[in-house]
Amino acid sequence: MHNSITNHQTFYNLTPTAMELVDFIDDGEDARHFRFRLITPQSINTPKPGQFFMLSVPGAGEAPFTFTAKPNNQGVFRALIRKMGDVTTALFQCQSGAILGIRGPFGKGWPIASLSDKKIIMVAGGCGLAPLTGLIDQLIAERHHKHLALVYGARNRALQMLNPERLRWQREISLFDVLEDTGETVTSSKNHVLEGTPLDAMDSVLRTLDWTPDMLLLCGPEVMMKAVAKNFLQRGLPAQSIWLSIERRMHCAVGLCGHCYLSEHHLAHHYVCKDGPTYRWDYLQPPEKTE
Amino acid sequence: MATKVTTTICPFCGVGCGMNLLTEKNRLISVEPQIDHPISRGQLCAKGWSSAYGIDPKDRITHPLIRTPQGFRQTSWNKALETVAARLKQIMEETGPQAIGIISSARATNEDNYAAQKLARAVLKTNNIDHCARICHSPTVAGLNQTLGSGAMTNSAEDIFETDLVLVFGADPTENHSILGGHIIRAHLEGTQLIVVDPRRTRLAKLADTHLQLKPGSNIALLNAIIKIILDNRWQDKKFLDQRCEGLAQLTASVANALEGVEKTTGISLPKIEAVAKAYSQSKRAMILYGMGVTQYVSGTNNVIALSNLALTCGQLGRKGTGINPLRGQNNVQGACDMGCLPNVYPGYQKVDNPEVRAKFSQHWKTEVPEHPGLTSMGMTKATLAGEFRGLILFGENPVVTDPDQNLVKRALGKLDLLVVAELTMTDTARMADIILPAASFAEKTGTFTNCERRVQHVQQALPPLGEARTDWQWLAAIAQQLESDQLDWPDSEAVFREITELTPIYSAMNYAKMDQLHGLQWPCSPETPEGTAILHKDTFPIGKARLIPVHPIPIDENIDSKYPLLLTTNRLHFHYGCGSMTRKSPLLEREIPTGLLFINPADANELGVTHQSAVGVGSRRGYIETRAMLTDDLPPGLVCMPYHFHEAPSNQLTNTAQDPLTKMPELKACAVFVQPLEPGSFPRPIDEISGLSVEGVK
Amino acid sequence: MKIQSFYLNHPNTLRDHLAKSYRIEPPQAAPGQNTPPLVSPKGQLFAEHENLFTFDGECFRETLPNPEPFALFGVQSCDLTAISYQDQFFANDPYYQARRQQALLIGIDCLSPCQHGFCPSVNAGPGVKHETADLILHQLSTTSWLLLACNQKGLGALEGLSLNPANQPELNDRDDRIASCIEQFSDDSHLKQGITAINQNQVPEDLWQQLGLQCLSCSGCTSLCPTCSCYGTWEQQESNGDIRRQRFWDSCLYESFQREASQHNPTEKAGERVKRFWTHKFGDNFAKEFGRYGCVGCGRCEVTCPGVIGVHSVMKRISSDAQLDN
Ligand SMILES: Cc1cc2nc3c(=O)[nH]c(=O)nc-3n(C[C@H](O)[C@H](O)[C@H](O)COP(=O)(O)OP(=O)(O)OC[C@H]3O[C@@H](n4cnc5c(N)ncnc54)[C@H](O)[C@@H]3O)c2cc1C
Ligand code: SF4
Ligand code: SF4
Ligand code: SF4
Ligand code: FES
Repeated sequence: MHNSITNHQTFYNLTPTAMELVDFIDDGEDARHFRFRLITPQSINTPKPGQFFMLSVPGAGEAPFTFTAKPNNQGVFRALIRKMGDVTTALFQCQSGAILGIRGPFGKGWPIASLSDKKIIMVAGGCGLAPLTGLIDQLIAERHHKHLALVYGARNRALQMLNPERLRWQREISLFDVLEDTGETVTSSKNHVLEGTPLDAMDSVLRTLDWTPDMLLLCGPEVMMKAVAKNFLQRGLPAQSIWLSIERRMHCAVGLCGHCYLSEHHLAHHYVCKDGPTYRWDYLQPPEKTE
Repeated sequence: MATKVTTTICPFCGVGCGMNLLTEKNRLISVEPQIDHPISRGQLCAKGWSSAYGIDPKDRITHPLIRTPQGFRQTSWNKALETVAARLKQIMEETGPQAIGIISSARATNEDNYAAQKLARAVLKTNNIDHCARICHSPTVAGLNQTLGSGAMTNSAEDIFETDLVLVFGADPTENHSILGGHIIRAHLEGTQLIVVDPRRTRLAKLADTHLQLKPGSNIALLNAIIKIILDNRWQDKKFLDQRCEGLAQLTASVANALEGVEKTTGISLPKIEAVAKAYSQSKRAMILYGMGVTQYVSGTNNVIALSNLALTCGQLGRKGTGINPLRGQNNVQGACDMGCLPNVYPGYQKVDNPEVRAKFSQHWKTEVPEHPGLTSMGMTKATLAGEFRGLILFGENPVVTDPDQNLVKRALGKLDLLVVAELTMTDTARMADIILPAASFAEKTGTFTNCERRVQHVQQALPPLGEARTDWQWLAAIAQQLESDQLDWPDSEAVFREITELTPIYSAMNYAKMDQLHGLQWPCSPETPEGTAILHKDTFPIGKARLIPVHPIPIDENIDSKYPLLLTTNRLHFHYGCGSMTRKSPLLEREIPTGLLFINPADANELGVTHQSAVGVGSRRGYIETRAMLTDDLPPGLVCMPYHFHEAPSNQLTNTAQDPLTKMPELKACAVFVQPLEPGSFPRPIDEISGLSVEGVK
Repeated sequence: MKIQSFYLNHPNTLRDHLAKSYRIEPPQAAPGQNTPPLVSPKGQLFAEHENLFTFDGECFRETLPNPEPFALFGVQSCDLTAISYQDQFFANDPYYQARRQQALLIGIDCLSPCQHGFCPSVNAGPGVKHETADLILHQLSTTSWLLLACNQKGLGALEGLSLNPANQPELNDRDDRIASCIEQFSDDSHLKQGITAINQNQVPEDLWQQLGLQCLSCSGCTSLCPTCSCYGTWEQQESNGDIRRQRFWDSCLYESFQREASQHNPTEKAGERVKRFWTHKFGDNFAKEFGRYGCVGCGRCEVTCPGVIGVHSVMKRISSDAQLDN
């Protein structure tokens, strides 16, 4: 009875592949835009926008992050990471050249195919902009969509992230910065600056746009996403045109550890790491009651 | 590799659940509950389920360590013991045996505790022996000893299923004694009336028929009012009072005015108090379970007496499903007391000041024993600071973190000429030692624990001691040998237990085999009651008639004022235990620690501008700490609550040091504090970072 | 392969034979017929603590377990059904499969109901289903047993043991006894009603919250439930300085199970966690994916739950609540 288990092709890999921390820039408060390099280029599959990877900081643990730029042919890719807990704190203490681990890509990305010819509005809150970054870049590059607006909410200026990217996008898409606390500074950028939460600002955003969105992509705190989604439903946007990216605690990313379950009763055995993290709004709603 | 199964007892709380340890290649791989255990019946609480993590070899002390100017250095047992003995001798010669003492552990076995007190009395010739029970239930022992003649739980866990009414008074059993808490839930679902008296809306309070949410510190006012109502309505048990109690006239007189202003003092309406008085007195069988919400006040002993007055008045004692039942904290705090790890009693509560008792032990041990009652742990601390006490052996406890008087204890320990600490891991107390001895964990030793219902249970060895670790009684014996005494030369723990039974009447008919067969034996277990005793005081009290003793409300020591406008009380978190040195090794229990440790009513929070999980500063006249706030309706406005024993934010920096005059129990359940929000988005600072700042400076 | 059946004088004969080539679990004597052990064999395949990999500063190395062949001897149908479910759930988990492929499963038919069990209600017993075991034991009398080999692996394990083929009448007896055992199970209408109520989302939120109040987050149910599979991970340093990641059994009833680093917690309320646990065990959508419910009717959660919200307690509360509504 020989143990030949390793030859099985479809096994999940719970062991990371080595990568190296290249460098980073500070981006927003307690957040950094990192560059990593796969020790062996092509050692992971090419991620689609919205897909994520599991980053291991040896000794500290593993946590999920989104690619903001997919690996190039040297295997260099980027991720925007906010310092939150043990793993990220340990990461922030790492120097260039540190050996880290990666698994992935995981999850279903954004529904790229159904975005062509669409008038898209994206609403992101805080760190929620990271998972949209790759998508925005790809949309700008491919131009299959009709219109694109980004409403980006943050508590204040200091907490805004991806400043270089937003500066770069400014010329290509309509950008709205929504700040709970606008402060005194008036920027000279072309961004529209609004006060409050993205929901508060929505009326004026839509008034400013000269087109009506027919696709809504959401990423950020769950309360914010739900509120904005409901608001758009009331405005008549069909549930099938609303997508959101759900965050859950994760430990395996392959549907085994159970941490990322959805508690909606019809989805009680669904795992965000596998089925998500992007979901169409109607999928999350309970089916009609059967009597 | 096949798994080995060892039957033993959970090392955490006084419930004493049955637990099997599964080992493989001398590693503990898992624990499982025992289906046939009389109390736990196939269940464990979160701590029990996680106990395998607690003794994980990681972080364990495996060799004797000796302090050198460069820090701790590994040494041999021989060297360590020689050093200990030499210094003990020196202190004894220079200052006398009153300058040395032992603090034993409510977590160690009876055998270990017995050995500790014997080392003190028979070898070191001092009664300076104590253990760390003082912060839980010393008022229970003091109070119930006066009124009933015995300080233990009068009834048994199983009685919860054979009573008509459970009165939970100042206790949070689902969190601290979870399996008993679960029994209460089950009994209640099956129809037992449940009344909870607590300033907080505990889990049981939410499930109960009646919750009396009294103001902190108004226990006696409430109890006296209940007794007054019972007497006025002739709801008392006349026969019981006549035949078995004394002092009714004085009690009746003392509660004459108990209803005046009671609604205001307690915050509870009179009709509600009346309903409880009626329900408790008129139930066929009613059972009181109480905890630290009774004992941790300056009025602690009197609170216990007041509860006892109530039970006696209604004759709710001495029968199945009745009684007055303290829920004691540590797994073997009962046993440590039973074994005479107290300065004034020998094993079995035989008084040191009784010459016959001394003669008995002296004869049996064939040596002189000291006459004078010794020092309590607090006494040792004070004597040290006064320069009169110099050498201390301490094991299984971490007073530097858990003692309410942390700072004082630290100073005293630092001043000792000799501090010997036996421990599993490097605790804050061990760090102060001159010599550290590696102790065996519960899984590595054989012996007995006595649970809160007086059940002596067999703890069995599943693993060899890690490294050079030794069972406590073994290294205590080795110290004795170094001092040229063979008093502690037992071949095995069963021999220690045999000696215990020879000298301890309440344990006299016990042995390991019978214990295994009957799943433990409840004391008194003597030739007259060879299978133990489930219910105390059936026909008579140890003091003959029980005493009703008038007690009067004593206000809490420190009330709120404009500067410290909130009252702080303390609680325990169910997944943690003591200072957390074992429980916090579990990744699961560690994760369960809530973000915020200050529980506060949303109305108070709102007024202060404190939001859920935001950083706050909390200050009292004694100290200042920072943590996060958790908003909850479980606390009434005006009252805030913190769990104790977290080094991140040790609530004993804040709590009042005013004490119960009799037992020196500090008032941990009430003190005045202020709460202030910190910068939004900022992080609470740990205590050592704050230390330098003065209290006034931050406000 | 067609099932092959033999007579056996006593399970110990088989046990002794198997002990030559397998580690026998549990190592103790005769199998407890009719009562599953409090702790299921789950941990033999999905280990309570499993090392995932080590990191030496440069490389990550997977550390697959490599157990010697072992026999799970005398496993009741509920637990075998759970294993066959976990075989699906962990189909792509290399650690589980490394252990699983070394395991020989010897089932035992239950002939009378156990105290809290309800396997017939969830199609998980009391007779062992052939596709869930390699070998099956069935007691005919004190001196005579049936031994069924369900597949090649089972048959192979019998090699070297001289056995007489069994006759059809005894095989029919087996079916009859299992059928009569099924009849002896107590009324399960509370389970049926409860399952319906859960799937139609008819259980009021209040009731879930009340049940949640009774959950002490002890992790007993999830530890003992033979189908529970959630785990957490942590990292430790080995004595040589290498880092080792280990996974360990986790419980979705812990408040912190889903709590995120930001403190956001989608299932902060205990009621939601309890609700999800039972929806996960009895959800029709779960059954659609795995061909059966997530509960195999072993009744262990009823025994071990200090908060009195094991399966029968919960289902009785739900069904009596539903009746009050009607
Ligand atoms: C699909 C997905 C994509 C994400 N992308 C990004 C991103 O691009 N940038 C970014 O800054 N953050 C992102 N997050 C959030 C990020 O994973 C968490 O902030 C991070 O795991 C928490 O930090 P920590 O590991 O230091 O926390 P710890 O407190 O150490 O947490 C312990 C472990 O719990 C798990 N965990 C805790 N919180 C979360 C959480 N919110 N989500 C998932 N797992 C968690 C992780 O396994 C983590 O290692 C993403 C989360 C998900 C689910
Ligand atoms: S209730 Fe007490 S004795 Fe029982 S498992 Fe929990 S800590 Fe251990
Ligand atoms: S839910 Fe309960 S009865 Fe069902 S399989 Fe799990 S432990 Fe057994
Ligand atoms: S056994 Fe009961 S109390 Fe324990 S976690 Fe499960 S549901 Fe909660
Ligand atoms: S992260 Fe483990 S199941 Fe989704």
